[in-house]
Parts: sequence; structure tokens; C-alpha cells
Amino acid sequence: MNFLEFLISRSEDMLELGLEHAAVVGVSVLLATVIGVSLGVMSYRRERMREAVLAVSGAFLTVPSFALFVLLIGPLGLGAMPVVVALTLYGLLPIVRNTITGLREVDPAIVESAHGMGMSRTQRLLRIELPLAWPVIITGIRLTTLVLLGIAAIGSIVLGPGYGELIFTGLARVGTPVAVNLVLAGILGIVVLAVLFDVVFSALGRFTISEGIR
Amino acid sequence: MTSTTKGRPLTGRAMIGLEDLTKRCAVQAHTAVDTLNLEIPEGEIVVLVEPSGCGKTTTMKMINRIIEPTSGRITLDGEDVTSSNPDQLRRRRGYVIQQVGFFPHMTIGENVATVPKLLEWDNKRVAAQVDELLETVNMPPASFRDRYPDQLSGGQRQRVGVARALGTDPAVMLMDEPFGAIGAITRDRLQNEFLHPQEDVRKTIVFITHDIDEAVKLGDRIAILQTDSQIAQYDTPERILTTSANDFVAEFIGKGASLKRLNLSRVADIELTQWPTMQIGTGHAEVLETLRQSHRNALLVLDRAGHPRRWADAGDLQGAQDGVLDQVGIAPESVLESDATLNDALNELIAVRYSVAVVVDSDGVYQGVVDIDQINRSVRALRESAVAESRENTQCGILQSR
Repeated sequence: MNFLEFLISRSEDMLELGLEHAAVVGVSVLLATVIGVSLGVMSYRRERMREAVLAVSGAFLTVPSFALFVLLIGPLGLGAMPVVVALTLYGLLPIVRNTITGLREVDPAIVESAHGMGMSRTQRLLRIELPLAWPVIITGIRLTTLVLLGIAAIGSIVLGPGYGELIFTGLARVGTPVAVNLVLAGILGIVVLAVLFDVVFSALGRFTISEGIR
Repeated sequence: MTSTTKGRPLTGRAMIGLEDLTKRCAVQAHTAVDTLNLEIPEGEIVVLVEPSGCGKTTTMKMINRIIEPTSGRITLDGEDVTSSNPDQLRRRRGYVIQQVGFFPHMTIGENVATVPKLLEWDNKRVAAQVDELLETVNMPPASFRDRYPDQLSGGQRQRVGVARALGTDPAVMLMDEPFGAIGAITRDRLQNEFLHPQEDVRKTIVFITHDIDEAVKLGDRIAILQTDSQIAQYDTPERILTTSANDFVAEFIGKGASLKRLNLSRVADIELTQWPTMQIGTGHAEVLETLRQSHRNALLVLDRAGHPRRWADAGDLQGAQDGVLDQVGIAPESVLESDATLNDALNELIAVRYSVAVVVDSDGVYQGVVDIDQINRSVRALRESAVAESRENTQCGILQSR
């Protein structure tokens, strides 16, 4: 059986695993975005806090993913839960970093003029600073998504959902003809998802980034 | 010979009052602004000029409460606003800074709508206001409303900046070097555009610049700041230029004071010389007779509406056909409108071949002529009257330079 025939025979499986994989990554990216942007907003003007936040979110990335998944079985059990938590932690750094960079790159003259016209701190942040930093932030979210699509596959070790299942099954059957096909199918699925997510982000960027700063 | 808008005595109510305003920097022992006292009369343009340093910007930011003063009081229209809600205070004033500070992600319309929206006007009213403001600054709303700031030229941006500051028609406007980042030619035009509506709306404007020429041109009153934002002199442009309060001011104004003074008077303010004129269609004999009696070497030919058409000397007129005067001689090159400044007049006179410039009113109708001697005389008279006036004021203790 060649790879193409294998894919066709497993097409229903491929679709189902793809949806699971996309869902678990999507939820994690969303959580990482909410937490990451909040942390960025809180820390971008305070040097100490900024350094601390960047150091901690950077530190998560250095923990081997395999180890983190296993560690989380204790408190969170098996399945999607530990995967989402681990992915959220891994996804923080690009988002936090880009939020801070984006907000700090906003021209102070623009913010001062908003201040001088009577916008409160919150209004300045929501109407001026975040919209202007948004192109940089969205780049961070895009990067996080790509990183998490790959790491999510490892989540299969704690019985997490997604294409990781194919890869780990293949690993268990090394030496048999089907093993290579299984691993290749898992990789292909992830690559296709990465392309699809990228299309979604381009569209999102087009809709949410003001024409004036594109 | 008083010009129309400048140099009115301090009779107006104070719109903004600064009392013993002081700002100390936490880090340095140095004070940025030290016990500043200033009254800004309603409906006037007061220009704060400082050759260097940042005291003027600090002062402006304190007036807008972006920087809180260490001590002292700020009053707005008689009300103490030193500790009222700064955001609400700011929405009552127009604010323009040097780089304009546009919100690049918003359209021109959205930018101009900023303050009306902050004040929670309903959408219809905001839209109407935006269109009106864009009209006011000569930016047709239909073609500019939906563009983004990046798509405008420097001059257009500045105009929209003023429209945005006019947002809800505030009585007070604060302008921090609004024309600072613009080329000289555009700046000159914008300054004129800026002064034009001011004649009618008479807003109270605090204007900051480091350029004494801009101050003289725009200000009804000028405050020259020296070290620690001490006021070296607070006075009308005329008196600043003619009687400097101290060496600091004199040195700042420099040698060009007499030339700068020419920007203060308009051609309309001085007495024009009448030149012999002839209407097109006048008979040959009468024309030559008029020229001979005038003891001038040429006649100015006017059309029936009174617009100057030709300069014609005896030779030209001799050769002219009876009554046909609109082809003889040469066309008048230097024609000034009566609201031109004496500086413009002097420029014309230096640039052209003749010793006189023709002055017309806004409809182009001949009013008279002006020559270099007249400009010279009026400068002298201006200086003398300013000296006399400032002596009077000093005696009355009105001079504010504490």
C-alpha cells in the first residue's frame, strides 16, 4: 500500500484528528492571547515587571515539552486538559514579547496628543495604543500558532487529541511498512493545518488592521 | 497709525490665569518653571517664546495638566482648575502639537471627531460637526473625510490638525509649535490661513514657538521667557520690538528688529501717495496736459472699473492713438493689496524696477501708490509711538513682566 492509498483509506480518521488538533491549538492560542496581551499591557511601561514577565514566559519554552506534559498528568489527569494548559504556557512568549514591543513602538507624540485631547488612560490604551500595536501583536499570535501546532503532536503522550496519535502509533510500530505512512500522515496533517491557520490569520489581519497603518 | 488687531490694551477679561506656577524636577534641584505669573486675555493670541530650553513646553503642559505643577494655581475663565478632573478639562480645550499627533489608524473624519465623541455627542451631530470643521479649514469633507493621515501633505495635515483641535469649538486653544515641522513657504501660507478666521472667532490661544518672527506675526501679545521660564517681557509685538525690557530681550530680537517691525503694519495703515491717473478713453490732449501739470514722468492708466492697467510716460502717450490707452507703455508689475504688510511692500519695491508700488483694494481697485520713503517714515513713526506708549504703560504699572 503506497502513501496515497493509505491516506485515502484513513481519510475519515485524518479529518477527525485534524478537527481535534485544530480545536486544541485554537483554544490554547486564544488563552495564550488573552493572558499574553494582558501581561504585555500590564508590564510594558514598567521595566522591572517587563523583564520578569519576559523571563518567565521565556523559561516555559526551555522546559522540554515531553516532560511538561507528563508533569501535568498529576494535577490535571489525561486527555485534552493538560495539553491545553501546556500549550498555553508555551504560546505566551511570542505574544507577550510582541505586545510589549508593539505598545512601546507607538509614537509617543500620538499618545501625548490623545492625552492632551482628554482621553483617559483606558481610552488611550483601547482606542490608540492597542490598535496601533495590533499588527505587531497579530504577528506574535501567528508565530505562537505555528509553534503550538507542532508541540500539540507531543500531547498525544498524555492521550491528548490530534495528529500526534498517528505519529506515536507509527513510533510504536517502527520496522513495519505502515509505520512510515503513519508518521508521514501525521506530519502532512499538521502542515496542512499550518497553511490553513495562516490563511485565517491573513484574513483576520485584513479585517482588523486599519487601512491607515497597513 | 495703529494696526487693527494688535496692541489693544489689556482690558479684556483674563481667560487663563497662571499664578505662581512652579515646576520642580524630582531628579535635579533645577526648577523647570519658577513662580510664573501670566494672564492670558480672552480672545487674544498669546505667544510664549523661548530661544532655547523646554520651559515653554513644560508651561504649556501644565496649563493642560499633562504635567502637574509643584505649586501654584491655574484658572480658566475665573474658575480654579488646578485640581479639577484633567480629562474633562482637556476636552474643553483644543490642543495641537508640533507633529500634529494624528491617529494614523483612523480616517481624517474619525480624527476630527475625537473630542465630540469623547463628549458623547450622538453620531449625527458628530458627523455634521466634522464636515463643518473640515469646511472651515478648506478641506472638502467629501474628498478628505475618509482618507487616512498618511495620504495628506504636510500642509493638509496641519489644517486637519487645527480642525481636530477645534473639535467642539473650544474657547481656548493650546498650540505647541504647530507650524514647526513645515517648510518656510507652506508655513507662511498656513500662518495667514490661521490668522484669517481668528479675526472673526477670536479664540483665546496660547501659542508656543522658538521663532520670534512667527511670534511677531501671530501674537497679539508676546511673552519672552528666559532662564527658568522667567518672563523677560510680556507685551505687544510693537513694544517688544521697539522697547526691549532688558538686554536678554534685545539680544534675542537681534539686529533685525526694524525689519521685523515691518511685519506689524499693513499697507492700509499708512497714508498712500496719490499718483496722476487717467481713465482709458480720455482724449489725447487732455492726457498730455495732465502729465505736464503733474510734474511726474509717467501716468497710471486705469480701466473703467478703476483697475490699474498701464504705466505710460510722455513718449508712450505721444505715440498713442486718441483715447486708446490700454496698449501703451508697460503693465504695472508691482501691485499690492492693501492688507499686505509693509514687509511685502518693501520686497516688491526691491524686486521691481520702479520706485513705487501700486496699491489696490481687495477688488483690485486703485487706491494709491507707496514708495520706500513712506515705508521708512512709517517705521520711524511706529517706533516713536511705541516708545511713548510703553512709557505710559510702565507708569500705570500695567506691564506684566514680573
